[in-house]
Amino acid sequence: MISRWMYISLVILYCFLLGPFIIIFMASFGANANLAFPPQGFTLDWFANVFETSQFIDSFWISLQLALLSTIVSLVMGMPVAYALTRFDFAASGTVETVFSAPILVPGLVIGFAMLNFFVLLGDMQVMTGLFIGHTAILFPYSVRVISASLRNLDPYVEDAAVSLGANRLRGFLLVVLPNMQAGIAAAFVLGFITSFNNVPVSLFLSGPGVTTLPVSMLSYLEYYFDPTIAALSTLLVIFTVVLVQAAERVLGLSQFV
Amino acid sequence: MPHLEIHDLTVSYEKNKPTLERFSLNVEQGELLSLLGPSGCGKTTTLRSVAGFIQPDAGRIVINDRDYTRLPPNKRDIGLVFQSYALFPHLTVFYNVAFGLRMRRIPKAEVHSRVSNALKMVGLEAFADRRPSQLSGGQQQRVALARATVIEPQVLLLDEPLSNLDARLRVDMRQEIRRLQQQLGITTLYVTHDQVEAMSISDRVVVMNQGAIEQIGTPERIFAAPETVFVADFMGFDNHFSAAVLSVKDGKLTVNWGGAPIELQWRSKLGSPHPGARAEIFFRADNASLLAGTERQGLPGQVILHTFHGNSLRYLVETQVGEFSIMQDSASERFEPGAAVRVRPHTEKWIAILEET
Repeated sequence: MISRWMYISLVILYCFLLGPFIIIFMASFGANANLAFPPQGFTLDWFANVFETSQFIDSFWISLQLALLSTIVSLVMGMPVAYALTRFDFAASGTVETVFSAPILVPGLVIGFAMLNFFVLLGDMQVMTGLFIGHTAILFPYSVRVISASLRNLDPYVEDAAVSLGANRLRGFLLVVLPNMQAGIAAAFVLGFITSFNNVPVSLFLSGPGVTTLPVSMLSYLEYYFDPTIAALSTLLVIFTVVLVQAAERVLGLSQFV
Repeated sequence: MPHLEIHDLTVSYEKNKPTLERFSLNVEQGELLSLLGPSGCGKTTTLRSVAGFIQPDAGRIVINDRDYTRLPPNKRDIGLVFQSYALFPHLTVFYNVAFGLRMRRIPKAEVHSRVSNALKMVGLEAFADRRPSQLSGGQQQRVALARATVIEPQVLLLDEPLSNLDARLRVDMRQEIRRLQQQLGITTLYVTHDQVEAMSISDRVVVMNQGAIEQIGTPERIFAAPETVFVADFMGFDNHFSAAVLSVKDGKLTVNWGGAPIELQWRSKLGSPHPGARAEIFFRADNASLLAGTERQGLPGQVILHTFHGNSLRYLVETQVGEFSIMQDSASERFEPGAAVRVRPHTEKWIAILEET
């Protein structure tokens, strides 16, 4: 009996998770100029339209660059912080950890708005620089958290063991600690990339004329048009994300960690 | 000449509160010496200073006539075995053991033969391709031993190596470590808080308390003749009472034990005791026997309870001097709770300790 109820609730859960996407997916092939369900007719025009809309293409490249750059920088900055937090028991470590998780707790809109004000105060700043700083700041706590988790699973004495066997501190870190952080770094990378790529609230405030991220340009497109182009783009984005996660899973073996 | 010398080592984590103060110790070539004491006594600090992970405030560490004090830990040529094993989780057993040899840039063929040999010595040659997570705790500890000894270090340091194992495995691994240590003839410092472990494995035992040596000697000596109250307590002397010294003669002192004088051997760091001094008297549960209450000799008492321990029964007996634990052969006459008995002391194994109070 229990297993049947579990089965039913699982089906319901999946309906809610996948249902909206299935609707969007089907609507993206509809021939009607208005987003409609069930779709009528069949066409790939809307997909073609995505690639013909320069606003989408430009903002896709901006989003991609932004996500890669801010993820990598947040990882490089997050690693030493995670290492320090897990290896050294210093007086302020609790406080430091809380401060570093603040961007997770504060609503994105608030962060975006605060950053906009701050950057305006600072004066002339390129839109891309502002976006990069903003995204790096919101990704940073994720990097620290995920990498810390992978370091906490590692016996702190392995470094001493490596050193006692003749490795200096740096080699000990590179040969023993780093390989065991690999899964954590990979998980933080995928998480960070997707978080940045999907982010709306912070990008909304920091975007400027000509420099917009993909989610923001989708949002502004929706204000003027309600055709299935958006549905087609959404379908493409879902496929892109699934391929990315699958590739990461294959190459890095994420499932053992996340 | 000793192989490992520790001279006047002083280490303090906090100002004016040294964990170790002018601690000196010599370990002979091929000797297994245990540092035994409760947590916080400075034994692990000593070990980590020898390994080079702690830079002492003062003092010197000399190995094989060479001053090691300022040498960084990766240049020390010391094998270290951790309580948590600290194996490298991403490497196979083979590469765990090979790590130290690879750091020393030893040619591949030699690495292979030495690692195989080391794994054979700990009985794990069939496990070379496993990951540490696929091994049991005892097997992991064997890998850690092989990894620390394959580099043929000057000194082997073991930090509570058996604490994470269950009781039965501990006994096996104890013998394993001892056998390996003797086969290799390696000078070894062994840190433990378990007196049974220290007794069974060591050539000599150092009992430590608050950063200082309480007593140093063979296991037999420390077991039979503790020199301080701390050592006697730590060595598991079951019974303890205080008494005033009546007289001292021919290297023995006499105290009053429930109206009868008994002659005891004594230890004192204060010189010969004088009548009236307070002696702390210790004896083990098997160094007294119970007689029926109708006997004339021995101290009268009453059985409170007894517990069964296989070959022996352990009685708790109340007397006018105090409560004592006394072991009797299971086959001998039984006394039930409430029975009147007499306690006959085997005073040749009792010990009186005189200390400043």
